[in-house]
Amino acid sequence: MTVSSFLLTAGEWTALWLSVKVGLASVALSLLPGIAIAWLLARRRFPGKTALDALVHLPLVLPPVVTGYLLLLALGRNGVVGGFLHDHFGLDIAFTWRAAVLASAAMGFPLLVRSVRLAVEMVDRRLEEAAQTLGASPLQMFFRVVLPLAAPGLLTGIVLAFARSLGEFGATITFAGDIPGQSRTLPVAIYGYLQLPSGDAPAQRLVIISLVLSLGALAASEALARMARRRAGRGTHA
Amino acid sequence: MLEVSLALARGSFSLRVDTVFARGTAAVFGPSGAGKSTLLHAIAGLARPARGRVVLDGTVLLDTREGISVPAHERRLGVVFQDGRLFPHLTVEGNLRFSERYVRPPERRFKAGDVADLLALGPLMSRSVRAISGGEAQRVALGRALLSSPRLLVLDEPLSSLDQGLKAQLLPFLRRVQAAAGIPMLYVSHDLGEVLQLADEVLVLEAGSVVAQGPFLDLVTVPRALALFRGHGLMNVFRARVQAHRETDGITLLLPLQPHGEHNRHAGAALAARISEARRVGEDVCLSLRPEDVALSLGPVEGTSIQNQLSGIVQKVIEGPDRTLVVVDAGTPLMCDVTRHSVRDLDLRPGRAVWCLIKAQALTYLEECGAQREAAPET
Repeated sequence: MTVSSFLLTAGEWTALWLSVKVGLASVALSLLPGIAIAWLLARRRFPGKTALDALVHLPLVLPPVVTGYLLLLALGRNGVVGGFLHDHFGLDIAFTWRAAVLASAAMGFPLLVRSVRLAVEMVDRRLEEAAQTLGASPLQMFFRVVLPLAAPGLLTGIVLAFARSLGEFGATITFAGDIPGQSRTLPVAIYGYLQLPSGDAPAQRLVIISLVLSLGALAASEALARMARRRAGRGTHA
Repeated sequence: MLEVSLALARGSFSLRVDTVFARGTAAVFGPSGAGKSTLLHAIAGLARPARGRVVLDGTVLLDTREGISVPAHERRLGVVFQDGRLFPHLTVEGNLRFSERYVRPPERRFKAGDVADLLALGPLMSRSVRAISGGEAQRVALGRALLSSPRLLVLDEPLSSLDQGLKAQLLPFLRRVQAAAGIPMLYVSHDLGEVLQLADEVLVLEAGSVVAQGPFLDLVTVPRALALFRGHGLMNVFRARVQAHRETDGITLLLPLQPHGEHNRHAGAALAARISEARRVGEDVCLSLRPEDVALSLGPVEGTSIQNQLSGIVQKVIEGPDRTLVVVDAGTPLMCDVTRHSVRDLDLRPGRAVWCLIKAQALTYLEECGAQREAAPET
């Protein structure tokens, strides 16, 4: 392998850039519902809580291909939701970049929710009571007390979900296919190259890129979490 | 005025309170587990009673029959919790200013700077709340509650997590707030000394029910309340002004003050106390005296080592199962513990003139009263 072969081809750059975009978009999409569901699971009792908990965690235990297939069943053009969107809005999801984002979001969602939920559970509820007596509504209390104190967990969750997206393969290829610029993310591209007789070199380049990207994300998360922990502080006066 | 009528059950514990607190400072006194904190949480809107009605100065905060329950954040009650509950991600100033945006300017009663001055928080403002002491933390908690411009300040054993020395430092601040803020207070505690120093009226709670309510000296006539007080170190607490130090024999002379600060009618009847800590002449202090350290006689006694002899009139004789408590108006009301035998021998009954004999050692500083209570605005 020569040094020059590290320079990526246009197609490889597209795959790399698409992976990053899909990762960021899937995290952005998951963020609000993820925080809301994490808070519900951490703080509220309601009928169907166990079912919601199980549903959120399902992608973690199902084979990714199954998750992708279920998404396809629901959101494909012949699916209930997918058909509706196609007929009324001309919006197609399956086998587009949208499907790649949704597949990634579904796979990363449990990691985000778990991490935020744990962090919210760690926040002292007595501080929430104090905030209320000082005039903060539940929403204000959440944004001014709970979220800042849960920030390290939130950051960890975001990075985990992003990293999970970078590695997403099974659900993506099932639900979004292998379309350059739409759904050919790094793992999909690597798999594609490995199917070709001359694909070893490009596959290896992308493997190294993947490694660098994932390790970078983990290192960034560690640094951010440490910073947030310092800011959020630990413990209150007894 | 605060009307509270509540019924609340938690497991095998049930709380049942039906009362009215006048303005000023009222204390809720009771042993641990009496339901004091639960009562307070229900008033503050942090616990939901099964049935109840809470009305503060004409505003209905809770009425389960009408389906009214004002959420905690709209009740505008300042709460100082036992454990401070400062926000660890904010500085002292951030904690103090937390409620700023929730109080409309016309309703603002204090400025952050004034509260910081009142509670001596100025040098701490930019500190992290993790880097301050327990006593400082409680002062921040008190200031934070004040700055929410509450209609009622509720204090849930605010001193109980502090050691004796810090308590003594914080009490003057509480009295200062009492004097300067003019906000009615509900003070929850199981420390009789604190209660007697701060409160005009006491509600005694035991196992979820009200035992008695009223001015302290009326409550000692209620047997169950008296038993609880005895269990928590029943004591006389009165204010006095340091008059002089007699260095030669280590005696400090103190003039008892009426509850509102004026000298009592027994002018000149200074008390001699053997108190080691030097206090400035002219300073006001709180003295405590155990009822069992007061002896009674029918006339002045000569040839005795007892330094203090106060004349007074018996007001109440409260017979207990083993001891009898006699309340004497000796310029300041004094509770004296005597045996039934003595009650018979001396024919102690209301109206009888007696002398209270108190050893100098029996008088101790309770805690520093500090702030001038007479400066309080009439409410």
